[in-house]
Amino acid sequence: MTEHLHIEGLGVEFNGFKAVNDLNLSVAQGELRCLIGPNGAGKTTTLDLICGKTRPMHGSIRYRGREIARLPEFQIARAGIGRKFQVPSVFRQLTVRENLEVAHCKHISVYTNILRSGRSAESDGLEKLAAFVDLSDYFEAPASVLSHGQTQWLEIALLLAQDSELILLDEPAAGMTHQETQKTADICNRLKGKHTIIVVEHDMGFVRQIAQVVSVMHQGTLLMEGTVEEISRDQRVREVYLGSTLGI
Amino acid sequence: MFDSSAHANPTRNRNRLQLALYLAFCVAIFAVPLFIDDDFLLNRYARYLVLGMVAMALSLSWGYAGILNLGQALSFGLGSYAMAMTLKLKTVPIHTGPDGLPDFMVWNNVETLPWFWVPYQSTAFAIFAGVAVPWALAAILGWFMFRGRITGVFVAIITLAILVVANLLVIDQQRYTGGFNGITDLAQLEILGLEFDAYSKSTYFLVASCLSVCLLGALAITRSKAGLIFQAIRDQEERVRFFGYDVAAYKIMAMSISAAIAGLAGMLYTVVMEFASPTFMDVPLSLSIVIWCAVGGRQSLLGATIGAIVVAGMQGALSESETFLDTWMLVMGLIFVLVVLFLPNGLAGLLDMAGRRLMRRPGALAGGPAPAKGLSGQKAKDQT
Ligand SMILES: Nc1ncnc2c1ncn2[C@@H]1O[C@H](COP(=O)(O)OP(=O)(O)O)[C@@H](O)[C@H]1O
Ligand SMILES: [Mg+2]
Repeated sequence: MTEHLHIEGLGVEFNGFKAVNDLNLSVAQGELRCLIGPNGAGKTTTLDLICGKTRPMHGSIRYRGREIARLPEFQIARAGIGRKFQVPSVFRQLTVRENLEVAHCKHISVYTNILRSGRSAESDGLEKLAAFVDLSDYFEAPASVLSHGQTQWLEIALLLAQDSELILLDEPAAGMTHQETQKTADICNRLKGKHTIIVVEHDMGFVRQIAQVVSVMHQGTLLMEGTVEEISRDQRVREVYLGSTLGI
Repeated sequence: MFDSSAHANPTRNRNRLQLALYLAFCVAIFAVPLFIDDDFLLNRYARYLVLGMVAMALSLSWGYAGILNLGQALSFGLGSYAMAMTLKLKTVPIHTGPDGLPDFMVWNNVETLPWFWVPYQSTAFAIFAGVAVPWALAAILGWFMFRGRITGVFVAIITLAILVVANLLVIDQQRYTGGFNGITDLAQLEILGLEFDAYSKSTYFLVASCLSVCLLGALAITRSKAGLIFQAIRDQEERVRFFGYDVAAYKIMAMSISAAIAGLAGMLYTVVMEFASPTFMDVPLSLSIVIWCAVGGRQSLLGATIGAIVVAGMQGALSESETFLDTWMLVMGLIFVLVVLFLPNGLAGLLDMAGRRLMRRPGALAGGPAPAKGLSGQKAKDQT
């Protein structure tokens, strides 16, 4: 497998606090990588650094061999990196179809887009995407009527509409019922191999269902990497999670 | 594809209904002179249409792209002065000083026509400048604000501050701008041999044509992909950035198109009013535009247009009784508060709610149960 994302010596500080500290991480093309760790370990910050929301102070992020660590976020997105945020953020006043239209950005210039219809010819493909996350019935409904779970799935569909090769999912199953979590795991599994995916998740049950390789973060740095079995046997990981409810 | 899927039809029907409403409005304003043969009244209606146009322009930037430009009157005023300058230079010699100098410059001991007045000897240039100057100013201002990621209330404060400065500057530079009095005693606008007397059908039709073209043009923009992205930016600016769009470029575009339309409206205002005045670019006017827009429904271009026509029309009717004039601002403020509290989408939102009630009646929606549920919260901007 070829290397898709390569992070080396990555670090950022907030008022002297090292949220991410000398992080090394390498993800192969088509891999689904789970990133776990106790609260405050720096998982969300790591995703922020990859997608350009936060500027790194040290280190490098190479995407397909190209350094992206200091590009503006819209250029990182154009390079093929899509991000789902921890707090679901879709365009609530737009319909599901319109949300997907916005995400589907083959042309990004304002000058061409002002001349193109808001209802693209590829609506068929968008409808298939809605079907993929089970939102066909809501295709023409405003996103504001969707439930919490549906909103999360819409966000995943948006990343697919965006045609991201690298998808960053921050706690996609947070706040979901057992059934919804199941469905989300199912969606992730169906995407395996087609996209490179990094999933940050707390729910170990969920991680077990989707994980190939798991990276454990602690205090801003990588603690260990391995299969679910390997990490749950590891003494250091157990110590980090001591007292937490993750049930490793 | 869409015709075969039950749930796609409502949106398409809404879009058609929307277009029909817009066209009906355009036909209606063109039909007004058929029923009213009073040049004085037509002049007044033309004025309201111009105000509708500037409110519509604000709806595009505020209602669609979320940019609350409190300096909308600056674009309007710049257009208004551009037109006044060329019409001033076209007055017959008796109104101007030596070498075709405007009278107020003579009184202020200005000896030669200032360089920035010279190109306005051409009406074509003035018409170009009346749109291009506000457009460029908005683009430059937008560049600084949006590249610097200034959003929300700070945009409102900055645009308001610039309006205040520009207004003071115009009043202060009496030698070049006519100061407090503005630019008065203008010639009539003449384009390709057509004369536009303020008190005539020709001027009314000029205004109605410009409004119709801008309204339909703006509608096309809101329905474009860029229009969709404007709305996405309004909803979740940060998110749009991570889809790979240069958000600042989109906001600059929305704000400068809005400014260009406001500039055109300002030019028409000078033609209709037969003068330009610093009150055409002052804070009370700018705030009025915001109120008209909010009352009509800022997320509806037509709603904002009609909001301005109705509220300004009411003001016109009421101001005939002198005693009411003072309390007018109070009444307007009250209307604004009520609308903000109870009708966030203005009159257009009210109409939309009524429309949805009708749609929800048994048998009105042929789709399955899920789409019916989904559509119950259909957004307001679709309707009008
Ligand atoms: N913008 C910020 N300013 C200050 N501190 C921050 C900021 N973002 C994150 N942090 C801190 O960095 C640490 C890591 O946070 P985060 O990456 O959100 O952890 P998690 O692994 O739970 O997602 C936390 O202690 C958090 O308080
Ligand atoms: Mg987090």
